[in-house]
Amino acid sequence: MPADTVSIMGIFASENGAAVAIDGLHETPWTIERVHSPIPSHAIEQALELPKSRVGWFTLAGGIIGFFAGFLLAAFTATRWSLIVSGKPVVALVPFFIVGFEFTILFAVFGNILGLISQARLPRFKAVAGYDERFSGDRFGVLARCTSDEKERLTRFFEEKGAETKVVVQTDS
Amino acid sequence: MEQTLTYQSIDDTVLDTLLPPRRSYWVVVSLLFAGVLMGGACWMVQILVGIGVGGQNNPVHWGTYLINFVFWVGIAHSGTLISAILHLFRAGWRNPIARAAETMTVFAVCTAGLYPFIHLGRVWMVYYMLPVPNQRTLWPNFQSPLMFDVVAISTYLTVSSLFWYTGMLPDLAIIRDHATGVRRKIFSVLSLGWTGEFEIWRHYTRGYLFFAALATPLVISVHSVVSWDFALSVVPGWHTTIFAPYFVAGAIHSGLAMVVTLMIPLRVIFRYENIITDRVLESVAKTIIFTGLIVGFAYGTEIFIAWYSHNPIEMESFRWRAFGDYSLEYWIMVSCNVLIPLLLFFKKIRTNIRVLFIISLLVNVGMWYERFVIIIGSVAHDFLPHAWGLYSPSWVEFGIMIGSFCLFFFLFVLFVKHMPSVSMTEMKETLHEGDSHAG
Repeated sequence: MPADTVSIMGIFASENGAAVAIDGLHETPWTIERVHSPIPSHAIEQALELPKSRVGWFTLAGGIIGFFAGFLLAAFTATRWSLIVSGKPVVALVPFFIVGFEFTILFAVFGNILGLISQARLPRFKAVAGYDERFSGDRFGVLARCTSDEKERLTRFFEEKGAETKVVVQTDS
Repeated sequence: MEQTLTYQSIDDTVLDTLLPPRRSYWVVVSLLFAGVLMGGACWMVQILVGIGVGGQNNPVHWGTYLINFVFWVGIAHSGTLISAILHLFRAGWRNPIARAAETMTVFAVCTAGLYPFIHLGRVWMVYYMLPVPNQRTLWPNFQSPLMFDVVAISTYLTVSSLFWYTGMLPDLAIIRDHATGVRRKIFSVLSLGWTGEFEIWRHYTRGYLFFAALATPLVISVHSVVSWDFALSVVPGWHTTIFAPYFVAGAIHSGLAMVVTLMIPLRVIFRYENIITDRVLESVAKTIIFTGLIVGFAYGTEIFIAWYSHNPIEMESFRWRAFGDYSLEYWIMVSCNVLIPLLLFFKKIRTNIRVLFIISLLVNVGMWYERFVIIIGSVAHDFLPHAWGLYSPSWVEFGIMIGSFCLFFFLFVLFVKHMPSVSMTEMKETLHEGDSHAG
């Protein structure tokens, strides 16, 4: 982060207020750094114009691996005996599909969890600069960065949108 | 509901439930724990003396252990129905009860999962059910529905536990932000450092949606697999293609009843009237009517197919169910699962909380007896008259059964006092989008 910049957190009481501020920030030279919300808000999501999460690819990969893992496990264990009962095939497709299906779900969920924690970069145990405990309760936070000489303008911008503001000191690590 | 609640009031109401409990709470916990110990002691007796101390014998080789296994798996399913399927359908009324229903799922699967261990007798041989290499290269037979069960139930326990925990992350952060000292540290770890950043929400909502989408077919497959324990045999009364949908519908029926049984006391004790509203309970009651009708249809279809098949053994099996030695159990099943839920068609009845609670208890009783009738009734009276025989549970089985009920309620009671029993985040989502909700 350049040394001559400053971050201001706008703390909003409503998601609409936060969404309007985000929309407004797009038309300014200031950069949106982070947005905090107590709920997954559609209004904010639209305002941020975020791309679709890639978690689904992890889920899909997990599911495909799971299906083959389950099916092959059942087939492998059956071939260890190679016991033909009533002329039925040793590698039986229908019952092994059930094992494959259960493994598909199990591994898809593992993939989903892996995708979630890797994409969202969880867990995060380091203190987040500017985090306000009210963000988990009833407040929405929009953190924006500007050059030092525009600090007053950005603060006024947030206040005009109905926010409470505070300067956030970012520590590079 | 929407007018009176704010984000702040939701947090306050739920966080108040986590305040240090009164002595009466610990009395209840102690009593339930004593029940668990008693059940454990009965199991110990069985391990020391042998599986013969149970009442199972030829021809009824599956007794209360399998009845309770199927019963608890069924109870578990409604939690997933409420949390996953209704989430996909965006049914707002599921939000206040979803957390408790998911909790019910996890603890019910844990309780159900104990029964195969108990029924094994020689429980130390449990590893034979797992696909682990051993010196005799004995592998599980994955063509057996009992092995499908092992895979399905362990998958279900893993998935529902992860779904439950993931859903709690934002709420754990709320508790962390209101806690101090060691408690704050514990909840910091449990919440994985959740900050509500939109970058996290973006992946979280997507991941949660996939969770729901995956849990939905899983819940249907798991109880179908449980039904195949019976349906893939040739025993009259078991060998039927209706079993999978019939078991799934029954599971949802019993689970919904258990949700009501748990929610009504929770609402009274924790003063959740503004959150678990009359409308929410009424919606569950309406769903119980629907599942009750499906279950009733399944009972009728079984009898019709037995008659239509012209198979004398099948016909005798169903005649005996209704008029034989276990006819009392059969008619308890029909009355509690099909006839009594019809009372909920009347608005006055389904909006009367006390009556609704009693009906939910009766449905639970009826669904236990449904499992009794299916599991005991079919093998007690199958092909050959000389092989017919009756069954009654022994004191060891009763002890283990009471212990399992105590275990379920023990875990649930501990949970609701130490973790958020209502999802604060999902409740906030149900309030009107965009408004200011600051306290």
